[in-house]
Amino acid sequence: MGERTTPELLPGTLYMLILRTLRGGPLHGYAIAKRVKDSSREDLIIEDGSLYPALNRMLVKGWLKAEWGISENNRKARFYQLTPEGRHQLEQESEDFDRLIRAIQLVMRTA
Amino acid sequence: MKRFRKRLTALWRRRQLDRDLQDELRFHLEMAGEADAGGNARRHFGNATNIEERCRDVWTFARIETLWQDVRYAARTFARNPGFAAVAVIALALGIGADTAMFTIVNGAISWTMGLDQGERVMVVSATDASHAQSFGTSYPDFRDLRARVHSLEGLAAYQFRPVNVSDRSGLPERYYCVRTSANGNRVARQKPLLGRDLTADDESPGAAAVVLLGHHVWQQRYGGDPAIVGQTIRVDEVPTLVVGVMPPGRRFPEDTDLWTPLIPTSAMEKRDSRSLMAYGRLADGVKLTAARTELDTLMRQLASEFPETNRGLTAEVQPIIVVTGAYAMRPLFAVLFGAVGFVLLIACADVANMLLARAAGRAREISIRVAIGAGRVRIIRQLLIESTMLSLTGGLLGWLVAIGGLRWFDAGTGGLVKPPWLNLKLDGAAFAYLAAVSIVTGVLFGLAPALRLAKVDIHGALKDGGYGTVGGRHSLSLANTLVAFEMALCVMLLAGAGLMIRSTANLYSTPIGMNTANVLTMRINLPEARYPREEDLVRFHEALATRLDALPGVEAAAVVSNLPLGGRMSFPYEVEGAAPGGERLPELDAIVAAASYFRVGQVPVRRGRLFTDRETTSRAAVTVVNENFAARTWPGENPIGKRLRVVRNHTAEAWLTVVGVVPDILQDFRHPLDHSPLIYLPHSEAPLRVAYLVARTTVPPGTMAEAFRTEVQRMDEGLPVYEVRTLENRIAENRLTTSLFGAICTVFAAVALVLASIGLYSVTAHSVSQRMQEFGIRLAVGGTSGDILRLVFRQSLRPLVIGLMAGLPLALVVTHLLRAVLTGVSPGDPVTFLAASGVLVLAGVAGCAIPARRAVRVDVVVLRSE
Repeated sequence: MGERTTPELLPGTLYMLILRTLRGGPLHGYAIAKRVKDSSREDLIIEDGSLYPALNRMLVKGWLKAEWGISENNRKARFYQLTPEGRHQLEQESEDFDRLIRAIQLVMRTA
Repeated sequence: MKRFRKRLTALWRRRQLDRDLQDELRFHLEMAGEADAGGNARRHFGNATNIEERCRDVWTFARIETLWQDVRYAARTFARNPGFAAVAVIALALGIGADTAMFTIVNGAISWTMGLDQGERVMVVSATDASHAQSFGTSYPDFRDLRARVHSLEGLAAYQFRPVNVSDRSGLPERYYCVRTSANGNRVARQKPLLGRDLTADDESPGAAAVVLLGHHVWQQRYGGDPAIVGQTIRVDEVPTLVVGVMPPGRRFPEDTDLWTPLIPTSAMEKRDSRSLMAYGRLADGVKLTAARTELDTLMRQLASEFPETNRGLTAEVQPIIVVTGAYAMRPLFAVLFGAVGFVLLIACADVANMLLARAAGRAREISIRVAIGAGRVRIIRQLLIESTMLSLTGGLLGWLVAIGGLRWFDAGTGGLVKPPWLNLKLDGAAFAYLAAVSIVTGVLFGLAPALRLAKVDIHGALKDGGYGTVGGRHSLSLANTLVAFEMALCVMLLAGAGLMIRSTANLYSTPIGMNTANVLTMRINLPEARYPREEDLVRFHEALATRLDALPGVEAAAVVSNLPLGGRMSFPYEVEGAAPGGERLPELDAIVAAASYFRVGQVPVRRGRLFTDRETTSRAAVTVVNENFAARTWPGENPIGKRLRVVRNHTAEAWLTVVGVVPDILQDFRHPLDHSPLIYLPHSEAPLRVAYLVARTTVPPGTMAEAFRTEVQRMDEGLPVYEVRTLENRIAENRLTTSLFGAICTVFAAVALVLASIGLYSVTAHSVSQRMQEFGIRLAVGGTSGDILRLVFRQSLRPLVIGLMAGLPLALVVTHLLRAVLTGVSPGDPVTFLAASGVLVLAGVAGCAIPARRAVRVDVVVLRSE
């Protein structure tokens, strides 16, 4: 087998992935990217170029809030955590996403 | 709302925000660097500044803020190079302004539907012979039959147009245009009275009491908008007439109607071959024009078989009424002018595009630096487009002023002349929308090529390349040359068109009218039937009036005449004594009815024989005077004096008239202002005029006599209005207005285009010379002469001119063919004009190249050291 290609992130799923990653507690940007990469067994990679603009957009939308804290290796890092609004948004998006995936799978199997 | 507030607070904490972003990204890089020992982290991360910027954009009113930044940046760039900005803005202002002014006129003309609701569905129905060569009006019996049988039209109306005199206690007697219309006329036109009632079927039955509908402006001006006028009686041509209603403002259909009265058929109108009515109808719902044509054609053929002695060979002609009106006839001309002004705008755009391209070459380094420190390509393109749109919007703003000025100029150029109703010289919302759209589109149009080119700039090359950095070198020059060739092609088309218009105008003014038109005052008089019932009354009135006017100090001679020079002529069926009878119908003869003194007023000399005398004017002496053209055509090679002919008036042949003299040709037809047609002059008593012109030669400026003339007329009959009191020269100027005015407009357009095109050539040459200074220096240093360099510069710069000329000349031939309708005495492909146009263009081109060429020759070998 040749080199494994990374599938493109489905459009619109970046917010959902970030929100889901933060459900367990506050994380800094680097950790978010790493967590997504690890839990998808390196199938999903968030480009650094899109991660930070997305985080900032979510701050503006009010889904996240950010605080400076100390990282696991004792450095100053910016931690993001969900707001109640963000939690609500996550439920909404994952529900929609589940429905979409089920629908697609139905079509793929039966049609 | 909440987001808005967050962004608003972020505005205050901008510095904090920036620090947060920087710290955060640095942390990320450190973490990534620890995880990835290969040092790929940085490369993987990409352009940090770019990410930072995009993050920051999230917090800001990004679009607006960066837009504002770009606008300020653009303003600074322009301020650094104000000459460039000024030339570009002026070029655009001229182009956009002229375009908007023209749009206003064209839009007004094509959207003018005579104030009719769905005017495009109103059709004029007329009779025509089988070949459609000659078209007649409709007779009342034909109209009645057609109206009863037609289904494809939603009602058929007929009318007759006549000037009337209105007199009552509300003011001086005045002359109005009155339409005698079948009572359904307003319903077919879909217009309803504002006050009172419409005409009804009862009003048009014979013997009904006279009623009238007033136009809104008549109501306002003469009766002060008093609603009590409805129900009162006024005198229309001396007949007491009941005012039954007032029409709404702006409703003047058909034609420029002041008053509407019912059309009551008289015994004369009951003749089926008395075709003096105009008929119009509205297409019934869902019916197509072709269906209506077929039906009316069938109906007319039925009438032809039922009434062969009057209708044989006649069929129907159905045309949309807006096609028959003046504005429509002007449409091709408007298309040409609109096209011409569009060309001017395109040339201006090409010019600015070229200047931007030239500037782009100098900016390659700046752009490269911006790209290197993190500006995205989109951002660069946007920046450049913002610059070009700023230029075009500023140009548009100034263009608005240019448009206002242009329309004022047009207005002043036609000052004192009666303007057609469709002529709109006011800028309105539509014009503004058009201007805005044109400004933005042109900004993007001429900005796009340079922007795309610059965004593709090769950063490494531009940064390494010591000085200016070139953008595609040869490539960009060829684009610039294409643009210049394009400008030249457009320009030669405009020049050819303008040249033909100039020649037309010159022809028009150099053709002798055939009489002395200076110092002649004209006015119109309409003698109402109620007071002047018999033809003798008409003759006697005019004889007495001429005598009175003759006696005024400052008057040399006064005369009554049916038509002024360039003012058309009358037409009668006629026969020449001894000529073989022609077809079924008698040929038509063009005639002018005049008093003998008309020839004195016009200072017309006699070519052969004599003129008729004052006594013969009034005594029915059975004489006539013919023009040279008529004599030559009717009796070629013979002496016309003593020959006889007779006219048919009111269906009866008149007495034989003996030709007593021949006069030179006088121009009568304003549509063919160079053609003298055969014409005869009838003494006034042979066909007395109810509606006539009075002309007088004065020894003082004719305008000063107007009041004296009016007073004399009203001393004779105080209920008689005098109207259209104007000098003959003023009237003739109006008839020539189209050609001379459009000639002037075309010339202005062409001149502007020429200047713009030579600026275009100048800027391209200047740019290429500035880039090749080094090369020229070397050439001079190794022994080249300045002649060599001049040849080099001119050969390179004039190539696009020659290519443009080659492409433009055949296109110009196509364009000038569209102008045919307004050309006078010159063919659309006139070689002299084309040669002159090419010559002018080449001269302007050489002038455009000369300045940069001179600079090239003066290059100092020292420039080599600057590198």
